[in-house]
Amino acid sequence: MTRSEIIVIMGLMAFAVRALPQLFFVGRKFPPAWDRLLRYLSYAFICSIVSITLFMSGARFEAGAAPRRGLALAAAIFVAHKTKSAVTGMIVGALLVLVASRIR
Amino acid sequence: MLFGARFCQGMRAAVPILIAFVPSSIAWGIAAQAHGLTLHEILLMSALVYSGPAQFAVLAPLAEGKSALQVLIAGFLMNLRFLPMSMTLAPFFRGVKRLPLALASHVVSASSFIVPYLQFEKERESNSTEVAALDGHGNLAFFVGVGASSFLVWTAGTGVGYGVALGFPPGFEEALKFILPGYFAGLLVVEMRSRAMALVCLASLIAAVPGALLSPGWGWLISAILTALLGWGWETRR
Repeated sequence: MTRSEIIVIMGLMAFAVRALPQLFFVGRKFPPAWDRLLRYLSYAFICSIVSITLFMSGARFEAGAAPRRGLALAAAIFVAHKTKSAVTGMIVGALLVLVASRIR
Repeated sequence: MLFGARFCQGMRAAVPILIAFVPSSIAWGIAAQAHGLTLHEILLMSALVYSGPAQFAVLAPLAEGKSALQVLIAGFLMNLRFLPMSMTLAPFFRGVKRLPLALASHVVSASSFIVPYLQFEKERESNSTEVAALDGHGNLAFFVGVGASSFLVWTAGTGVGYGVALGFPPGFEEALKFILPGYFAGLLVVEMRSRAMALVCLASLIAAVPGALLSPGWGWLISAILTALLGWGWETRR
């Protein structure tokens, strides 16, 4: 299956999840507990992907780059928390990881 | 009716979303280019999937040529959060025919859900209107005003991001690789509501690498599901 085909199928699945409740579940309520579970799942997925994007290359742990990327991630999180701005955190982290990779 | 006053009101209400979408869409475009996706694939995904977190979730597995099933499951699980959003909005579109409803639902996203929902609730309370007496067509026009403008900015922004990434000189790969995970980590921290959620995030962050080492294809996915279930179970029992 090509990447474009996967993207099209993914788009159709996303459309189904968006459209079906509008068409068939009007007036029904989603249980709050399930709503919370879906939010937990989204957050856990995002964090897992942050981790594997930064620390893994295929099936290999990038031991050489992990310390500077971990440090940059911690800095990005700290700055985002303090400034309440994800963009500021991202810029600080990206600059830090760039400088650290040049110093190495 | 659709492009009338309510549609324009929706577009005006979307301005904060549009401002937030510019950096995130550009960041995604940059990251997608760095992962080797073509402009055509980037625009296709933004237009069809239209979900920052889901697009982020599938970027690495898609670029690395992982199984289609894994990519689709990851994307589907991320997009499941649209179910309750779509269901919550549905009563406000009373009387609208199914085709326009289905077409409009494509622009449901976290941001384009919150703004119309709060607006509809506010209007209902101020007018003391019952759900049965809502102006479904007017509400749909407002929702499309918010959703369509956000959708256009997101899709165009990812294309711009692709162009921006092409302009980076060699040696910036480390920073490019960091942009999207750094942005999403920051976004989570800013939006974090509870201690349980913070623990789930931290546990997922830590468990993903051993999970991926144990099973390169599915380990991170399984570890994320287990961590979310544990956090949910813990919070539900409290």
